[in-house]
Amino acid sequence: MPASSIDTFFACLVMVTLALSAMVVTSRLIAPYLNDLGHREDDERFQRLASHLLLSAGTPSNWGQLKSTSPSSLGLTRADSSLPYELDMDKVSRLNSQNAYSLSYQTLWESFGIEDVAFQIEIKPLYELSIALISNQTQGNETIYQFEVETKKSGMPVSADLTGYVVVKNFVNNVTSSTTSEGVGSFSIGIPNSINGTALMVVLAKAKANPYMVSFNTYAFGHQSPSPLPNRTYLWLSPLDYVLNASFNYPSIEILRADVFTFNYNFSLTTKAQGNQTVEYNITRLLDSSPMIMVLTGLNGSSSFAEWVPYPQLPIKTGVDFSQSIGGAKIVSQSHIVTINFALYEVVTKWGGQS
Amino acid sequence: MFDRKGQMKIIESFFAIGVVFSALLIGTVQFSSSPNLAKQKSLASLGVQALIEIDANGTLGKLIVQEDWTAIKQSLDVALPIGVSFNLTIYDENSNQINSQLIQNSNLLGRETVSVQYFCASQSQNAQFFILRLQLSWTR
Repeated sequence: MPASSIDTFFACLVMVTLALSAMVVTSRLIAPYLNDLGHREDDERFQRLASHLLLSAGTPSNWGQLKSTSPSSLGLTRADSSLPYELDMDKVSRLNSQNAYSLSYQTLWESFGIEDVAFQIEIKPLYELSIALISNQTQGNETIYQFEVETKKSGMPVSADLTGYVVVKNFVNNVTSSTTSEGVGSFSIGIPNSINGTALMVVLAKAKANPYMVSFNTYAFGHQSPSPLPNRTYLWLSPLDYVLNASFNYPSIEILRADVFTFNYNFSLTTKAQGNQTVEYNITRLLDSSPMIMVLTGLNGSSSFAEWVPYPQLPIKTGVDFSQSIGGAKIVSQSHIVTINFALYEVVTKWGGQS
Repeated sequence: MFDRKGQMKIIESFFAIGVVFSALLIGTVQFSSSPNLAKQKSLASLGVQALIEIDANGTLGKLIVQEDWTAIKQSLDVALPIGVSFNLTIYDENSNQINSQLIQNSNLLGRETVSVQYFCASQSQNAQFFILRLQLSWTR
């Protein structure tokens, strides 16, 4: 065999070997990028789904107000809205499992109509408000309670104006304050010693930079009485279509008063209908860019209570719990700012499907 | 013994392999530097939406007329998720920058940013128009 043939054979062998190894290396290098291209399509698809959910009213367009109706297509926008991303108070409230007219995830998923996608919807204020009872002191005929309030977004301080209301049985008192640039504020509020029972402190906040950025929280404590039981022990409160439905969890419940608290206003609720174990109250429509906190005080035998519900009924988190999701599932999280009843909230949607 | 013809073929094969690897290398570099368009679109959408919502009832125009740059920065701090860096520049209708201080939560230098524009006006008899250019980037 001539030497040139051996050289040629050797050269071909080297070339084939290197070409093969190059192909292996190439496939390994490119595989993640090709995979990523597929994921980008997923991202865009999930983005479009989130936009559809937050920009369409669904069918029927007023499904939020129709207590016994499930939507044939899911959308959360207010039917007659002229603003983008303006959500309907009732549609949002029906996502909350604590509302008597809430929709299950199965119903929501079927209404949404995308079979290969699971989702979770979380709606919450743009920042958190926390309340702590610092001290209490008897002065004359009343007890002065001092509270500390923090307004923060994921630990970052938010400077806000505050309005606080305290409710015990038939007594209501209010106070205004603010949090500093460090997001910390405090106030004192008095309750007469002539009454005793469960007291509820309601605090509403509006960011100083933008009054449409609101937050709220409550703090229940015993005024000359034992520590209160958790909210929803005595009543099941469900606001919908500007009517508050209160179902009694015990047969001997007596309602003392029913109030609505917003940042600028508070007033009593008027009774719409009275049943055996239920009461319905009319909720007045307000133009105040503030959530409405409805508080009912009453007695169950010798125990007093003060229970509450916000309207829109937030915060909510409904849908699939993706922290339990199986490996291989593609999950995309998206954040949007929406308007509900003139105030701004954050919606975080999570979307998942097989990648 | 190898002759010259054979040696040339070996050299040619090495050249060929060199060409193949160069092509791969260029391809890889291009892939790695291609921007994630979906993520950028999502960020741009978030930025526009934040500005629209902050501007509810003409709030943004009012804050610009009052030259309250701190309030505008704080509004964006609250409206945008933690993990998003921003830099907002405000221009008048003649494209002159009017914000006298920086409206940003961190420096965007060296980061992959997306830029969105938003137009707003003051709600007064002498309406003024403003162009807002918001640059955004993911912190992580």
